[in-house]
Amino acid sequence: MGEAPTIAARARQIVMEFPSGDARIRVLHDIDLDLEYGRLTFLVGPSGCGKTTVLSILSGTLSPTGGVVEVMGERLGEMSDADLVKFRRRNIGFIFQSYNLIATLSACENAAIPLIADGASMDEATEKAAAVLEQLGLKDHLMKYPRQLSGGQQQRVAIARALVHEPALIVCDEPTAALDAAAGSAAMELLEKAGKNPKRAVLVVTHDDRIYRFADRIVRMEDGRIVGEGAPSDQERIP
Amino acid sequence: MIGVALKMLMGDRVKYFGLIFGIGFSTLLMSQQTSVFLGLLTWGANPVLDVREAAVWVMDPRVPQADTGQPIPDQALYRIRSIDGVQWAVPYFRGTTTLKSADGAFASITLVGVDNQSLIGLPPVNRAEAAAAIRGRNAVVIDENTQSLLYPDGRDPLGQVAEINDNRVFIAGKTRALATFSGLPIAYMKYTDAISITPPERNKLSFVLVSPRPGVSAEALADRIEAQTGLRALTREQFARAGVDYIIENTGIPLSFGLSISLGVVVAIVITALTLAMFIAENLKNFGALKAIGVTNNQILTMVMSQAWLVGLVGYGLGIGATALLLVLGRSVPSLSGLYLLWQVVAGTALIVFSIVTVSAFVSVRRVLKMDPAIVFRG
Repeated sequence: MGEAPTIAARARQIVMEFPSGDARIRVLHDIDLDLEYGRLTFLVGPSGCGKTTVLSILSGTLSPTGGVVEVMGERLGEMSDADLVKFRRRNIGFIFQSYNLIATLSACENAAIPLIADGASMDEATEKAAAVLEQLGLKDHLMKYPRQLSGGQQQRVAIARALVHEPALIVCDEPTAALDAAAGSAAMELLEKAGKNPKRAVLVVTHDDRIYRFADRIVRMEDGRIVGEGAPSDQERIP
Repeated sequence: MIGVALKMLMGDRVKYFGLIFGIGFSTLLMSQQTSVFLGLLTWGANPVLDVREAAVWVMDPRVPQADTGQPIPDQALYRIRSIDGVQWAVPYFRGTTTLKSADGAFASITLVGVDNQSLIGLPPVNRAEAAAAIRGRNAVVIDENTQSLLYPDGRDPLGQVAEINDNRVFIAGKTRALATFSGLPIAYMKYTDAISITPPERNKLSFVLVSPRPGVSAEALADRIEAQTGLRALTREQFARAGVDYIIENTGIPLSFGLSISLGVVVAIVITALTLAMFIAENLKNFGALKAIGVTNNQILTMVMSQAWLVGLVGYGLGIGATALLLVLGRSVPSLSGLYLLWQVVAGTALIVFSIVTVSAFVSVRRVLKMDPAIVFRG
């Protein structure tokens, strides 16, 4: 038997350009990045440095201008649009900065969306979502609507939505940006716990340095380039 | 995802009820106005349709429709009877006069004089009773409309004495005539009674009603009568159609109703398109999140279409139900009788409403379908 793969997602020589009038602006320059199973990788850097673009490319929601992206050994660039959507649905969990919960669905229904989108019945999906929400401490809030929940509770519903289909890769875009310190820490503890799963990798894009301590590895970007990386304890050495 | 879509829609109650109200109102406007318009057109044909026995109507060549009479000489009746292929030909008087009740109430009416022997020209409803009642001298059979105008207190008019042109008549029977475009109530008398109590003029014969012998077509007989008499002869269907055409060509009704019906279409388009577009725009980030999570464009299209069709179905159901209710309630008003919700109107309105919601939903959702799912990560 061969060894289990250690890399959940791999980006090589990623280049991203956007048109601007007649010209094209390059926002990512030859990005190489590996996301390992069982680890939380933080992508940090100033606003506009390209962190979210890297996250979008690694999650298959944006196609790079050049380079190769592999998730679970599959090359995203070689997939048809339909296959890519299906791949995302089954293998990637998303946590957004503003949660993006649907206001008219209960917590349980919101968390169940990836399963419903993949063809599960509403009953089956909400049952599984309820189990995940209970693990995240929302047992008493299953039927509440987003407006009835605090910001921290909403983020936990978003985390449940990202976990419910047991994806191999979870991508989080500024997950604590809208939370106070306590709620942010609580959310990160849950993500840390989810990320310790040896069959899962977590990528967190953030510039909230209060949560750096939860990272296994921090990658710093500036002006579309990776300028350094290391453990949280190495922060002084990361430019 | 359809369940999710419907919950998204119904959770936004303002837009949900706004869409339903808008579609319901425009459905009501379209179907009710179309029904009334078609009813009014039918009213133009009703004086002819109410005389089922006559296959051919003969008249002065200048007569455009049944309620615009120009009498022809009495000899015309005998000439027509002598034409080959005529089974029978009977006189028919149709004119406008005033009927007064004994207590002074009066109403302008259409007075119809039917052949004394055959009574051809009496409406089919309640015909046996009306036929028995009309045979007495100066006996009048009135329709419900006349009754409600002359005897609004609900008293039974049978046996009541009334007056036409200073001639004493008595109400001998009741019938139900199809509503006509003139809107006047209708009273029936024997032909000879009718022409004797109306003001004197040289000719009083409004129409000659004709039936062809077996084996002779109404069209062929009408052509033959025209050729031999110089009068105008139309089949029942042609003359009924002429009544409809008269309304279309000589009144502002088609334009007026056309505007109302168009307004219904515009209201449906504006409310549905704008509200759906607003709903999509407000949920753009959520749709972006759904696309990122892995909801396909087909699923999103299905979601938005199911939302549109739900509001379309509920709104249309309420609108068409309201139209049916209004028309049913209108039946208790004699002057509004003869208005029906035809299946063609039901189907046509459904087609328009569902076309509008489908196109509106498709135009609105196009933005989502083209949207890059990575938009959800942008500020």
